[in-house]
Amino acid sequence: MEQVPLIEVRNVTKVYHVGSVDVHALRGINLTINRGDICCIIGRSGSGKSTLLNVLAGLEHVTSGEIVIAGKRLDKMTQSELIVFRQKHVGFIFQSFNLMPYYTALENVAFPLSFRGVPARKRNALAREALKTMGLATHMKHKPSQMSGGQQQRVGIARALVTDPEIVFADEPTGNLDSNTSDDVMNSICDVMRAQNKTLVMVTHDPHMAEFADKVIQILDGKVVSIEYNDHSDSKKKTDVKQGVETA
Amino acid sequence: MKFSDMLRTAFLNLWRRKLRAFLTVLGMVIGTSSIVVMVSLGIGMREAMIESYSQMGSMTNITVTRWSSSVDANGNYTSTEKDLTKKTVEQFKLIPGVEVIMPRITTWGMVKSGRYVADISIMGIDTSVASEFGITLAEGEMPSARTTGGTYDIVFGSDLFQYGYFYDPNTGKQAVDKDGNPKVTWDSRFQLTFDSSNIYGNPGDSMEGRTPGKMYRLNATGVTAASGNEFSYYCLMDIEALKKLAKENKDFVNIDTSNYNEVIVKCTDTDAVESVNKTIKDMGYGTQCLQEWIEQSEQSIKQTQYLLGAIGGVSLLVAAIGIMNTMMMSIYERTKEIGIIKVLGCRMSNIAGMFLTESAYIGLFGGALGLGVSYTLSIVLNKFLAQSGMHSSIPLYLAFGAVAFSILVALISGLYPAIRAMRLSPLAAIRNE
Ligand SMILES: Nc1ncnc2c1ncn2[C@@H]1O[C@H](COP(=O)(O)OP(=O)(O)OP(=O)(O)O)[C@@H](O)[C@H]1O
Ligand SMILES: [Mg+2]
Repeated sequence: MEQVPLIEVRNVTKVYHVGSVDVHALRGINLTINRGDICCIIGRSGSGKSTLLNVLAGLEHVTSGEIVIAGKRLDKMTQSELIVFRQKHVGFIFQSFNLMPYYTALENVAFPLSFRGVPARKRNALAREALKTMGLATHMKHKPSQMSGGQQQRVGIARALVTDPEIVFADEPTGNLDSNTSDDVMNSICDVMRAQNKTLVMVTHDPHMAEFADKVIQILDGKVVSIEYNDHSDSKKKTDVKQGVETA
Repeated sequence: MKFSDMLRTAFLNLWRRKLRAFLTVLGMVIGTSSIVVMVSLGIGMREAMIESYSQMGSMTNITVTRWSSSVDANGNYTSTEKDLTKKTVEQFKLIPGVEVIMPRITTWGMVKSGRYVADISIMGIDTSVASEFGITLAEGEMPSARTTGGTYDIVFGSDLFQYGYFYDPNTGKQAVDKDGNPKVTWDSRFQLTFDSSNIYGNPGDSMEGRTPGKMYRLNATGVTAASGNEFSYYCLMDIEALKKLAKENKDFVNIDTSNYNEVIVKCTDTDAVESVNKTIKDMGYGTQCLQEWIEQSEQSIKQTQYLLGAIGGVSLLVAAIGIMNTMMMSIYERTKEIGIIKVLGCRMSNIAGMFLTESAYIGLFGGALGLGVSYTLSIVLNKFLAQSGMHSSIPLYLAFGAVAFSILVALISGLYPAIRAMRLSPLAAIRNE
C-alpha cells in the first residue's frame, strides 16, 4: 500500500494550567499517520492519550507545535474553522456512546448529516445504509435505552461513518463494554475502516485492543516512546523513536 | 443546517420538556396579555376622545378668525387683528392642501311666529359650498340671497322645532301641544327682529334717541338635517343677505360688516391640516382646529398610556426573565449534548440559532396565546366597563405588534443563553460526568 501522510504532528506540546501548577500533558509529540492507517495510541492512565486525540480532532488547541491534517494547519484554526474542518474530514466515536437518548438509532445516525444541510430524505437513506453495514438493520427504530452497549456503540460507529469522513477518531471505544463485546465491536470497527479505506486513530489503555491495529503508538508522560507495526501475520516490527526520528 | 431542520429540532427540544416550556410560555401569555390589555385601554381612551371631538365638527376644518394672540419673550400677551375679507379668502385658496373655503358671519336674532318667539343663532354662509362642509338640509332648499320687499330667506336649524325652542314670552309656556308635538313648524309664518324691545317691551319705549329695530318677514326655505356637527344648531342665511340685515341693525348687532367673522377652511385630508394651519397662523390670523385640540388632549392621554404600558411591561419583563432562566437551565442540562453536537460538526451559528429559535417559539406561542387571552379580556372588560366610560380596543396593528414584540423580547432574553451555548467547549462531550 502506498504511504501518503495524512496526519503530521510536529513538536506538539500541551500545557494545562491548574491553579498555579502547570500540567504538561504533551511534551513534544512527533508522528506521522498515513492515509488508511488503523492506528492505536496506547499508554498508562494520565499519559496524555486523550489529550493527543483531542488536539488531533481539533477539540482543543495545542500550546505549541504544528498539526497538519490533509494539508491544513489545525493549530492555526479558530473554533468555527475547526468545526467546519470536522464537518468535512472527521468522524468521532465516543467511549460512552453519547447517543441522543430521545432519538431512534436511525435518527441518531442521521443527526450529523442535518448539520451539513443534507435533506431529510437523503439523510435517512444514508443512515439506513450505515446501520445496515453495522449489522443493525433490525434495530433502526430502537432508542438507545432499548439496545445493548455493543449495539449502541455500533450505532455510534455508524454515526461516525455516515458523513463519509477521511479520519475517524475514537477514544476508548470499548471502554464501556465487556471483553467479548469489545472484541466484536473492535472487529466491526477495523473491518469497516479497512473496507472503506479510512484512517482510524484510536485510544486505548488495553494492550489486547491494540492488537487489532496496524500501527501502535505508545506514549508515556506526554512523549511517544515507541511505534510498533502489527502485520497481523504475527511477526512484529519494532521501531524506536529518538528525538522524533524514526529508524526502521 | 437547513432552516427547516433548525425549526424542527428547536421545537422538539422544547417539546421534550413540555411542562417547563408550557410554564415559560404561560409567563409570556400573562406578560403579553397584560401589556396588550393595558395598551388597548389607552387606545380606547384615545378613540373615545377623538370620537367626542369629531362630534363637534369635522377633522379637516380649520376655523380662521381675525384675532390672533401671542406671548412675547417677556411674557407679555399681545393680541393682533387682521382683515378677513374676500381678498384674504382668495389668498387662502392658494395654500396647498386647501380644498374649499366658506366665509361666515354669525349673529343672533329673535324669531316671532304668532304668539311664540325663539332666540336663534344665525349663520350667514356661502350656500354654494355649504354641502362640502356637511351642511345639509332635511327638507326644502338653501336660502337665496334675495332681499326684495323686506323678505329674507332662511333655513331653520333642525333643533328649533324639535326641542320646543319656541315659547310664549308672556306665559313662558313652550310651543308644544298636549302630545308634545311642536305647535310651530317650518311652514308657519315668521318674523325676524334684532331689537328685543320689539318682543319683550312696549313698542316705542326703546332707549332715547334710538330708532326701534325693524321686523322682517322671513321665508323659511328649509330645515337643516340633524347631522350633529358644529353647524347644526345654527339657522342659515345667505351671507350677503345677513350682512345687509346686520348693517341695517348696527344698533343691535355688533358686527363689522366690512369683514367676515370667520372663515372656515376645509383641507383635502387630515394630514394637510397641520401645514395649512401653520401657514394661516403665520399670516397673522387666529385659527382653531379640532386637530390641534386633539393633539393637546393626546399629549395628556399619552402620559396615561405610558403609565398603562409600563404596568403591563412589568409582567412582560418578569416573563422575559423567566425565558432567560428557562434557557439557562436548559443549557446547564444540555452541556454534554451541546458538546456532542459540536463534535459531530454542528456549527457555532447553528447552535446559537437553535437556542434562539427555542426562545422565539416561546415568544411566538406566548404572544399568540396572550393575544387570544387579550381579546377575551377585552370583550369582558368592555361589557363591564361600559358604564365607567372606559373602553378597550385592540386594533390590528396592536395585535401583530404584540406578537412581534413578544418574539423580540423572547429573542433578546435568549441572546445571552444562546451565546453561552455557542461558546461551550466540545470537550464537555468527552468528559464522563
Ligand atoms: N482539562 C484539563 N485540565 C487540566 N489538566 C488536564 C486536563 N485534561 C487532562 N489533564 C491532565 O493531562 C494529563 C493527561 O491526561 P489525559 O486525559 O490525556 O490522560 P489519558 O492518557 O487519556 O488517561 P486515561 O487513560 O485515564 O484516560 C493528566 O495528567 C491530566 O490530569
Ligand atoms: Mg483518556
